[in-house]
Formats: sequence, C-alpha cells, structure tokens
Amino acid sequence: MSTRLDEAEVARLVPGLTLALPRLPQRGRVGEVRASSAGSAMELHDFRMYQPGDDLRQVDWNAVARTGDLVLRVRQDEVSPRAEVVLDGSRSMALSPRKAAAAREVALLTVEVGGRQGLSPTLLWGGPRSERVQGLACRAALRGAEFEAQDDLASALGRLPPLRPCGVRVVVSDFLFETDLEALCARLSRGASALFLVQVLDVEDLEPTGGEGARLVDSESGVALEELLTDSVLAAYARRFAEHQRALRSAAVRARGTLLTVSTADGLRAQVAGPLRALFVAGGGA
Amino acid sequence: MSFGLPWGLLALGALVPLVAAYFLRRRQKPVVVSALFLWRTPRPRAEGGPRWERFTREASLLLEVLAVLAAALYLADVRLGETARRRHLVLVVDGSLSMSARSPDGKTVLERVRMEAAKRVEDERATHVTVLASGASPHVVAGPEADASRALGALESFESRGPDHDVVPTLLWAQELAGPGKRVHFFTDAPPTEDTVVPPAVRWTALGRSQGNVALVSAQRRDEGGRATVTLRVARFGAGASEVEARVRAAPGPGAREGTERVERVALPEEGAATVRLTFREAGDVEVSLPDDALPEDGRVRLPPSPVMPVAVGLTEGLSPASRQALERFLAVSPDVARGTPVAGAPVLSVGPARAEARVTLGAEAPLRTFVGPFFTEKGSTLMDDVQLAGVRWTAGANPPGRPLVTAGEAVLVSEEEGGRLHLNVDLARSNLQRTTAWPVLLGNVVREARRLREGFPRHQLNLGEALPVVTEAGARYALSGPMGKKPVFGAGALSLPPPTSPGHYVLERDGTEVDAVEVLALDARESDLRGRGSADVPAKEAGEDVAGNGGQERARWPLVLLLAALLADFYVTRKV
Repeated sequence: MSTRLDEAEVARLVPGLTLALPRLPQRGRVGEVRASSAGSAMELHDFRMYQPGDDLRQVDWNAVARTGDLVLRVRQDEVSPRAEVVLDGSRSMALSPRKAAAAREVALLTVEVGGRQGLSPTLLWGGPRSERVQGLACRAALRGAEFEAQDDLASALGRLPPLRPCGVRVVVSDFLFETDLEALCARLSRGASALFLVQVLDVEDLEPTGGEGARLVDSESGVALEELLTDSVLAAYARRFAEHQRALRSAAVRARGTLLTVSTADGLRAQVAGPLRALFVAGGGA
Repeated sequence: MSFGLPWGLLALGALVPLVAAYFLRRRQKPVVVSALFLWRTPRPRAEGGPRWERFTREASLLLEVLAVLAAALYLADVRLGETARRRHLVLVVDGSLSMSARSPDGKTVLERVRMEAAKRVEDERATHVTVLASGASPHVVAGPEADASRALGALESFESRGPDHDVVPTLLWAQELAGPGKRVHFFTDAPPTEDTVVPPAVRWTALGRSQGNVALVSAQRRDEGGRATVTLRVARFGAGASEVEARVRAAPGPGAREGTERVERVALPEEGAATVRLTFREAGDVEVSLPDDALPEDGRVRLPPSPVMPVAVGLTEGLSPASRQALERFLAVSPDVARGTPVAGAPVLSVGPARAEARVTLGAEAPLRTFVGPFFTEKGSTLMDDVQLAGVRWTAGANPPGRPLVTAGEAVLVSEEEGGRLHLNVDLARSNLQRTTAWPVLLGNVVREARRLREGFPRHQLNLGEALPVVTEAGARYALSGPMGKKPVFGAGALSLPPPTSPGHYVLERDGTEVDAVEVLALDARESDLRGRGSADVPAKEAGEDVAGNGGQERARWPLVLLLAALLADFYVTRKV
C-alpha cells in the first residue's frame, strides 16, 4: 500500500473497468417534474393517470377515447450520461497519508474510468477553495489536492458549484461527521441518475488503538477530549460507529444511492475487487 | 487546631508530584481523530445546562488533593477544638547558686538547663508547661500550665542564685502539680546522693561539672568610731592556686575625700579557710572581689557601712543613791552605751525606781526581806544568761508584776512584763549584788536585749541561707523590699524571716518609709564547693504516661474517614470517564 497517490496502480486498473451505469430509467416524480425531451428518441415506458401539471402533449388521446380517462404516456428519456466525482476536502480525509491517498485514488480511478467511457468526468473538489475541473485537469487537480477544509462535506456543499443533473455521481468521503444524513443523501442524489457514496475509512477509524490515555482532537474543529482508551471506551466507540454506519446506509438507500465502504488497510486493487465492485464493473471493453 | 506530630505535614509534599502529574496528564500526546462525536458519551441529563462533567479531571484532582490533605492531617495527629492536644509538662529547676557555675567553654549550668528544657518540651510535645524553681521557699517561675513558649521565655529570664537547700519538698510539690502518673523533670547540677529520697515520678537530670573554685565564705564589716573593720574568710575548694589576690576597694565615706583600693594576697590552705582582716578610715561601701573562676558570684561582695548603734540610757528621778551609784559605775565602763544627748534612731533604755513608768525599775518596797539563797533562775530567758548568784545577798521587797525570772522562795526578785518591762526587786543599799559579777552581767544582758529589740535588722550582713532577723514595733505596717520585690512583714517584736531566696540589698520599710537595710551576700560555702557536681540522667522509677509516647491520646480518626471518602469519590469520578 502506498501512502501517496499511486497513479501507476490506477493506470493499471483503468483498462479493465467500467463504471456501472444505471439500468433503471429516470423517473419523473408525480406532479413535480415536467416530462421533457420529446422526440424520436423517446421510448414508451409506461402509462399512468394524468395529474395536474403534466404535459398535455403526452396524453394518449386514443386511450382517452377508449376508456374515457386521461391516460398519460410515460416515456424514458435517452440522456447523455456524465460522471461527476465529489471529493470531500475536509481535514479528516487526511487523518493518515494512506487515507488521503486512498481517497485520491478512488476519485482518480472514477475519473479515469469515466473518461475512458466518454462520460465527461467532472471533479468537484470540496477543499478550502472549492473548484470544478474537467477532463485531463482532474488528474493534476487530484495530485495537488490537500485536505485542509475545516468543515465537513455537508457544509462544503454550500460553497461548491451546483451539481449537474443526469449523471453518475460518485461522492468520496469518510462521512464521519454529525449532520442530518437523510438530508445530505437526498441532496446528493438530487438530479443524479445514479449515486455512489464511497466511504473511505482509515484503520484508526475502524479500529482505534487503545491502551493509554489520549487527548483526542477533532481533525476539523480542533475540539479536544481527554479519554483513557480503555476497552470499555473503545467498545462504546465501536457501538456508536456501527450506529452511525447503519444510519448512513439507511439514508443512502432512501436516496436511491449505494454506500460503498472501503478500508485503507486494503489496496486499491482489493478495494475494486471488493467493496467497490458495485461501482466498477469488470470488462473494460464494454 | 494543633498538631501532635507536625512532621506529618511533610506528607503535603505529595501534592507537588500529584499536581505535576495532573498537568502532565493534561498535556498528554494528542491524537487526531476523524469524528470526535463518536467518542463522546451522550449525557441526556446535561443537555439543560453546563456540563459539569467537563470538569471531571479537575474534580479528580481536587479529590486527590483532599485525600493527600487528609492523610497529612492524620499523620500530623491533628486535633481540633476541644480535642486539641493538651500536654502538660512540669519542669523543676534547681534554684541554688551553683547553677551559675561556668564550665571552661563559658556556659553556665543554667544555660545548659534552658537548652535541655527546651529540648525536653519539644520531645514531649508539651503544649503547656509549669516551671518551678526549687529552694528553701520554692516558687513558680512560669505557670501553672503556661503556654510552652511563654514558660521557656520565663525560664530564659530566671536567675538561679539561691542558697543550698533540700529539693525534695519542691519535687513533691511538682509531682502534685503534674498529677498522678505524670513525670516531673528536674534539672540540677549534681547527681542525687544515696540518701536523697527522689520521688518515683521524677526524672533527675544533672548537667553540672566537677571543678575547683575559690570563694569568699564569709564577709563581715563593723564600723566603730569612723573605722571600718572588714573580716573576710577565703576558701579554696578543690585543686587550684594556693594563693589568690583579693581586690578590696573602699569608696570614700561622708568625711573622706577619696577612697582606698588594696590588693591583698591571700594564701589558701588545703583545707579550711584563710581569714583576712582589713581596716579603713571613713570608708563608704567596701567592695571585695576575687579573680573570676568557675563561680564568679561567690567571689564578689559589697559591704555597706554597718555602724554599731549605741543604746541611750536615761536614769529617771527617784532612784536611790545606791542604785544610781551602781548604775553609773556600770554605764561608765559599758561599751556602746550613750548617756546624755540622745542619738537619733538609737534605742532608749530608761531606768527608774520601783513603780515608775520606766523600762527597767530598780528598787524594793517594804516589807523588805533578805535572801542568801537558794535562788531559782529562769534559764530560758536571755536576760539571765551567765548570771551567777552564788554568794549574793539579795534584799527584796514586795513582789513585782510580770513573769518571774529569778525567785527566792516566795519572793520574786526579777520579773518581766509582757511589754518587755523589767523589774529588779532589789534594795542595793542592803544587798551586795552590785559588788558581785552578777551585776554587770545582768545589766549587760539588759542593754544587749534593748539593742536587740531595736527596730530594724540586728545584723546588716547576711550570708545566703541564713534566716533574716528583724525587729518590728507593734501598730505599724512593715514591708521588706528586695531583689524579688516587696513583701509585707507580719508580726511585731523580734522576728525571724525565712532565708532570702536571692542575694542583694533588702530594705525594711515602715509605712512606706525606709527604716533599715541589710545586705544579703551571695556566699554559701556549700554552693561554692563544686567538687561534687557532675552530669547524670536518672530516669523516673515509675513509668508515667509520657513513656507511652503517642498512646497518651488517641489519634483523631476523622482524617481517615475523609481520606477514604475522597478516594472512593475519586474512583467514582474517574470510573465514569
């Protein structure tokens, strides 16, 4: 395992991988979103009853004549897929050099694989100076990326450029911060055709070392807490960590997203073959 | 609050590493974590206000400090309020002159006693001390039950200059003051002799030293007719020079222009004393000093003038010619008798016929009878000292009043009344008493008695330890002032006061007016003999409560309870962390 961005390993993995694009059509929400993109490319997907606000052009008048009800054609848009990578730039991502490297590697691998698929990958960097880069600039941006933001991802979203709809959205973070996870996941999934929450965790996040007293300092706020890292204290941490993970996973599912948790104990190849298998599909020729 | 063992407070030193460890713990290695909120234990009850748990470390420190404090208080044997430690110690210091003897290093025995007493008070952890000074009249130097520091301060200003005495009565008194089962600490300069009955509770500590000494054992001055005769007796105790120089300095008297100073070389015998007699003309105070030695105090005396006061004799009218002739013949040859002009302050002796208001009556009233014996004399009367009546033909008349001193059958020949009036029931025209030796002896006794009953001090120089004779008159208020202060003198007539406890100048005052003075010299041959002195520490025969050490009073247990409570609370506080 390298403690810095291992571009060679990424380059070796990219040819054999593709991003798992969403197989389900994008569904409009009843009464909220006007159907769009009418034309020859539209493919009939379903029928449903008319609701106020629906586009009257999509009313199937034949069905109306047959049944006397306002039946609406629901069509699937044929979209041009994009890949959008949101990388958490908070300090907790640099808890260890390995954690920082793993986050960069996942982001770079996503960008590289997406670019290879023609998804016009975009990198949103949630650092102190938020920025959006595209294409080849993503690699350079990831090389120089420093995790120095003193706030968490939920706060960083406020200063990031608006997320673009109709794309595969991959959010790389440790998701170890106190926030309304339901709201966060809902916001991240809004407009995305697919949402992957890649949670990068350090070994110390998963199994902190105990046995002595420590002055625990929050990586972002700097708030300190003195603890004797006894077995009971570690057990309490593990219990609260599990509860947090459960809440995060539940929030991801509710937002139609997928939570993928990787450990820095594993190398990138092992991560791709393991937890990231849902994001990276083997078979680069596809 | 008091402490039985102040050294226990050293345990407070544990606070230093404790506080240091606390701050070291506060500065332990920081560990950066991704999510601090996962480490915090939710405290639902703390949501309403400040979380005192934030001060858990401080509370732990305070509890540990409290535990150390409680432990220190227990080790220091703390006492509070009514239970405060009260430990009484009775010290007895020998008040005799030999305690002022100096060793070659210049320290007196009394100075050693002061240091040893202070050490003893500290060792015994006494809070209250009573200090007694032994002597013929023992007295309290400090106390009873004075504060320890005050008692030691009083001992610092105490001077031991009394005569030789028996210390046992003082030790018994001290034992009573100490109470049953308590020890008494006696400090002196000589070990107890075999025949000394030391009370069982007394610890006898001798801090003296055997050494030689040359001292004046007596000094007398007699002034007659402007000439002062000083008689000195110088003795050597132990090894030392066989000759000593006595420096005698006489201040000028009222009629002299300048004083006199002499240096007399005195040869000292192996045993006994050498006598030196010096005379001075018109001398004031005479000061005698010997070279300083182990006990300088007994080598210095000051002798003020001590003139012999004559007795003024007056013969009243009515005396028979034979009586007058016999009296005048005696007075003509009797020393220290003045006739005619009365001398100021001198006693007056008036002689008159029978039934006269005179101090002495001489004569007989009819019917007369003559006796040739046997005569019965009251031997207990000083008036009859050495009066031999053998061969005397005594013609007496009616019996005079008063207590008979000489009788012949039923006849009272000499009697004395209560007030001192003397009746000589004799007709000298028909007797031969005036022609026998009994006559001048009897009259000499009468004059001597008149002089003895003169108001004031019969002697003007006294040695330490000698009773102080004084004569007072009835109806007046007398006081004796001296180095130890002023004391009233009770009684009338010839009195014998207890020996003065300190040498110096003593004045007899009547109704505030000085009557007479006496010089008590710091001379006591038994105190000057330092050969039997030495050092010893004889423990008490009975082990008192003092031996039990700390067992005399049980330690307070509340610091232990406080210690336990603090430790439990600290355990509880740190357990929650």
